[in-house]
Amino acid sequence: MQTAPAYTPVAARQTLQRPFMPAQPQKQAWPPAVRGYVGRAFDPESMIPGIEGPIVAERLRDVITKAAEARQLDTIDWSTYPLPQVLIKAEREQAAFHGGAIPVPANLYSLLPPPNVQAWAGQLNKRKNDEVETTLEEEDAITPPWKKKNKGNLEDRMSGKSKAQEKKQKKIILLHANGFGADSDVLAKRKQRFGMTTPEPSPYLSSRDDSPEPAGPLVGTCQTIEKSYFRLTAPPSPEVVRPFAVLEKALNHIRRKWREEHNYNFACDQLKSMRQDLTVQHIQNELTVKVYECHARIALEMKDLGEYNQCQTQLRTLYKMNLGGNPEEFIAYRILYIIYTCNRTDMNNVLADLTSADKQKPGVKHALQVRSALASGNYHRFFRLYLSAPFMGGYLLDMIIQRERLAAMAAMCRAYKPDVSLNYLAEELAFSSDDEGPEDPDATQRQCLEFLCLHGGEPFVERKEHGTVRFQTGKAMAVFEGARAAAFRGVDIKGQI
Amino acid sequence: MSDSIWTDFATAQAREDGYLLATTISPSRPPSDPARLYNYLRWTNAGSVQTDLRYKLQYNPDLHLDKKESSNWLEVFTAYYHFTARLLSAEEAQNTSQRAREADWNGVYESWKDVLNAVYRGYTSDVFDAWTIPCLYVVAKYMRIFAIKADESATAAAQREQRDTGMAFGLQDEDGFNTSSNSKNEKLEDAARHINRIFALCLGDRSPLEDSRKWALYYIANLLFKTYFRLNSVPLSKNILRSLSAQAAGELPPLSRFPKAHQVTFKYYSGVIAFLSEDYAAAEEHLESAYKMCLHSSNDSAAQTATATATTRNRDLILTYLIPTKLLTSHRLPTPTLLSQSPHLTSLFAPITSAIKHADLRAFTAALESGEDEFVKRRIYLTLERGRDILLRNLFRKVFIAGGFEAAAKEGEAPARRTRVPVWEFAAALQMRGAEVGDGEGGVDGDEVECLVANAIYKNFMKGYIARDRGIVVLSKAGAFPGTGV
Repeated sequence: MQTAPAYTPVAARQTLQRPFMPAQPQKQAWPPAVRGYVGRAFDPESMIPGIEGPIVAERLRDVITKAAEARQLDTIDWSTYPLPQVLIKAEREQAAFHGGAIPVPANLYSLLPPPNVQAWAGQLNKRKNDEVETTLEEEDAITPPWKKKNKGNLEDRMSGKSKAQEKKQKKIILLHANGFGADSDVLAKRKQRFGMTTPEPSPYLSSRDDSPEPAGPLVGTCQTIEKSYFRLTAPPSPEVVRPFAVLEKALNHIRRKWREEHNYNFACDQLKSMRQDLTVQHIQNELTVKVYECHARIALEMKDLGEYNQCQTQLRTLYKMNLGGNPEEFIAYRILYIIYTCNRTDMNNVLADLTSADKQKPGVKHALQVRSALASGNYHRFFRLYLSAPFMGGYLLDMIIQRERLAAMAAMCRAYKPDVSLNYLAEELAFSSDDEGPEDPDATQRQCLEFLCLHGGEPFVERKEHGTVRFQTGKAMAVFEGARAAAFRGVDIKGQI
Repeated sequence: MSDSIWTDFATAQAREDGYLLATTISPSRPPSDPARLYNYLRWTNAGSVQTDLRYKLQYNPDLHLDKKESSNWLEVFTAYYHFTARLLSAEEAQNTSQRAREADWNGVYESWKDVLNAVYRGYTSDVFDAWTIPCLYVVAKYMRIFAIKADESATAAAQREQRDTGMAFGLQDEDGFNTSSNSKNEKLEDAARHINRIFALCLGDRSPLEDSRKWALYYIANLLFKTYFRLNSVPLSKNILRSLSAQAAGELPPLSRFPKAHQVTFKYYSGVIAFLSEDYAAAEEHLESAYKMCLHSSNDSAAQTATATATTRNRDLILTYLIPTKLLTSHRLPTPTLLSQSPHLTSLFAPITSAIKHADLRAFTAALESGEDEFVKRRIYLTLERGRDILLRNLFRKVFIAGGFEAAAKEGEAPARRTRVPVWEFAAALQMRGAEVGDGEGGVDGDEVECLVANAIYKNFMKGYIARDRGIVVLSKAGAFPGTGV
């Protein structure tokens, strides 16, 4: 999907501290209990053969971050909390057990799929996005921390079920799981009852519990507004992904910065990382549409058609889901874009997709008129339409104006004899001097002359006595026919499907 | 009795009759024995199907199959048995309106895939002879049909829409492009892969030609085209064409040696593929030969009404692309007689043809607009649109002729047509026929009129030049409108 060749590497976080946690003013001061736990984890005596240090460290960081986010650093009994290597070992055993020993159900829990998990799994299949392949382990990573307190709870955690489902599934689990698991369930329940969870649950947790899909995709916890794009090669961890609320702020921030600084590299990079965060969290709503529209417009303005095309492809899907946005504008762009790429198959498809209501909208109508004018070679009408393009269609038409001018020149050179006035050519080919203040016929003629000379028309320009300039069309035929053919040869865009 | 299946099987094996053999593993019932599938299902049960089949295939005195062959057929018929169970229960559900939604077409599709695989293995292990290739036709053909069915029921499950087709696996608009963008084609894409496997299986056969699976190539290729068209991935068809044309002379029998049905269909698809890639010369050639063959065979078999309607349908399909092609290549319009043969063609092309003929731009625009949905669906809109050039040619020609003759310069010479035509005369004609050349203020945009004339000259519809400063168009004295006798 988002196969942009631009790699923007960012340094992986190496420390235990979470640099961006405004909600954690005490981030530097880990409680002594936690430090003790870390010490135990790295104690040579507690090492388990086969589980290397780095893995342990990573897992350790995971455990503590989770606890910190849930503000449970103080509530967890760190002296008895299972060490990371123990967790890993148990997980591996579990995996081996499920992988081989049980003959019929490869995964015990596939027998009792909680409804939400099932829905989520379906969603996963549909999307086929290998960047987002959130595994069960991934879901594991977002399990509320209190479940980690008890070793016996491990099994539940591994199943990737949330608290809500856990309740629903409790009875069945009691039947299926070993006695150990059952005990732990009771324990966990009791702990919750006695307020082991903080009275004010962190926003992340509460949002998870309230959301209709508790077992849904990853929900980020990163609070930074700005984030560079980095092409994922593995499932991202929540702390580097920004949740919805942060992304909303980020979009406004980027828009403001774009208006102020007009730095495309920055904007493109930021928007790509936003698109990635949206994708990995499966967020498809108005914000998604806004982000893609914003990126598409900026890319158009900067003539970055590769990025533009990516956004456009996504927008098509999003508009089908009726999430708002500006379909009219982007259908128009799409038509103009296909005109640019000269892709007849796509044009057929886009025409087939249009409803009669679409066709009535002014933006779409304009784009269709452009298409029809070009199809019949009516350059006169095309250049009028070029001057009246709504929205940002002008940027797309700029991409084809040069080659259409050459096409028009080829036709005119063939048809007009012996010559025409430069003035007529300048007007017909829609050269305009609007960047240089009010209409200045000299300036437009100069532009037109430049254009003619650039394509080898210089020998055919003739200055008459009265100061008028004529162009000898009859003689320039071959030159402009060649230029036209060259201009239409090969339209190549990166990222074009 | 379930015997018809076995007598047919034995007869087919004895006579080496591939088509008869294929009927024994087909999901469709032979007219002679409409209850065949039910009987086959009741003849045994899932537990003893293997044993029962072994008796029929290995210990049957009527059959002389070697051990490998019979065990392969055993596999095929076992898979076919499970498939039959699925199909019948799906059909039963389908025919009961309140349970229609429960029909498990996905299951039918998957179990048919097992049949396909079993047959496929028979060929990869070189156990099945080349004369049995109609079995490949059957497995491939129904693979596509059941895939469509499974996709449809998946879509319908979401839309809660259920059509009650008379036939259990009703054939829908087969050759159309699937334009509904929201329907999913997961199974059909899967089916395309499996049919492609069969294509590769036949293409890679190195046996001598008289005993080669290559005889199945065009049938399978046609099926692939059909599938790709429906999947809206026409470009994939080009791979098939390429691998067929990559076969050196002598490696592949000439197309003319294949069954006529394969030939016509192949020519048709080759033509449409060329049409879609704007290679109109090739399109014309392929479509024309398909049309001729089709016309020929309709004379042969006019007696059989069923074949006749199929032929009519095929002819209409070919003409749907041949008519726009001719319009472009040789600027020829279909005659009313040709169109009158089919109501479908009449409604499709009559309005636009008459508009072009009478140089009526208003009618042309209206015809293009009213037919737009169908034209776009058939992918002929962009081609028909170019009929406007011919229409304008006709209009300008009328202006030229209406200009009359100039007095002969010398006594006795034939009078010459007036070749200097003022631009405003063309403008008036365009205005009359509904061209939108107004300047928005009630006047005429002379530049646009010139542009239209310039285009006609550029595209070689008209010979001459525009003298802008004098406001006239100077037309060639001889053949001002090439190909029209003027």
